[in-house]
Amino acid sequence: MTEDQHQEALESIRLIKDLVIESKKEIRMAGGGWIAIIWGLFCYAGLIGQRLLIPHGPLMGVWWLGLSLIALTATFMLVKHQTKSQPAKPRYPYMRYMAVFWVPLIILAYTLCMFCVFLPELSRDYIPIFILLVISTGYVMLGFMFVKEILVIGIVGFISTILTAIFFLEYSDIILNLLFGTGLIIFGILANRKWKNL
Amino acid sequence: MKEHAAIKLDNVIHQKTRLGIISILMTAAEADFNYLKERLNLSDGNLSTHLSFLEKAKYIKIKKKFVKKKPKTLCQLTEKGRTAFSEYIKNLEQIIQTVPQKFN
Repeated sequence: MTEDQHQEALESIRLIKDLVIESKKEIRMAGGGWIAIIWGLFCYAGLIGQRLLIPHGPLMGVWWLGLSLIALTATFMLVKHQTKSQPAKPRYPYMRYMAVFWVPLIILAYTLCMFCVFLPELSRDYIPIFILLVISTGYVMLGFMFVKEILVIGIVGFISTILTAIFFLEYSDIILNLLFGTGLIIFGILANRKWKNL
Repeated sequence: MKEHAAIKLDNVIHQKTRLGIISILMTAAEADFNYLKERLNLSDGNLSTHLSFLEKAKYIKIKKKFVKKKPKTLCQLTEKGRTAFSEYIKNLEQIIQTVPQKFN
């Protein structure tokens, strides 16, 4: 065995590793940028509606629920379109796995919201805190599985949600919706630029 | 005498561009010609030559179809290609594990 052959083998392994890792990331992240933008806009729209509807109490819940259904439908349509037009199709339906991953977390977040609404011991100010702690946990889990950018969003989201709950609980809806909305939109724009091939 | 690992390396795969094509196809169910071209930074002609080579070896399948009235060339790794790639990786690992001898 010569050193050249050894070196050549190492280079080939490096090339394969780089291409496989990068392609996997690119293929799995296809459409992810637009999905992040949809949910970033959801945070902004939710906040505006919530501020306008505060005097009308229960309508706020209907507003968030309706908005969630619109955002979910938009996400579903985007995934469907992406699956059809993607130039490199994934070997496994990742987007379907993603849906299965998020549904229990969304149900958990809504259950916690219901506790805040119906249990007098729990303040309604905790609603955005509970939702965003669950969402941040989701991002952290996804970040470990996919790309470090999502992990960073999850960690920043988790820390800022806890800090907001401790220091600015009464402004939590404004702070967290703006923070998450802006974070998701920036991530979406960057992801669309980075993985523009798909 | 034991066969040397370097001899067993598959010549169809052991070429940087073809190795790149197969590595990408390992991660995707199928990939578009233009995607491979951009990803590997190749010209149309260069990519076509390597794809034909891989197709002849039956390592990939090439399908042509129309999407929104535009022609699309889709490449897919065959089972033979997948097995050959796994074998190739095994051989590379074998080479790497062997301590190289320096020639003076």
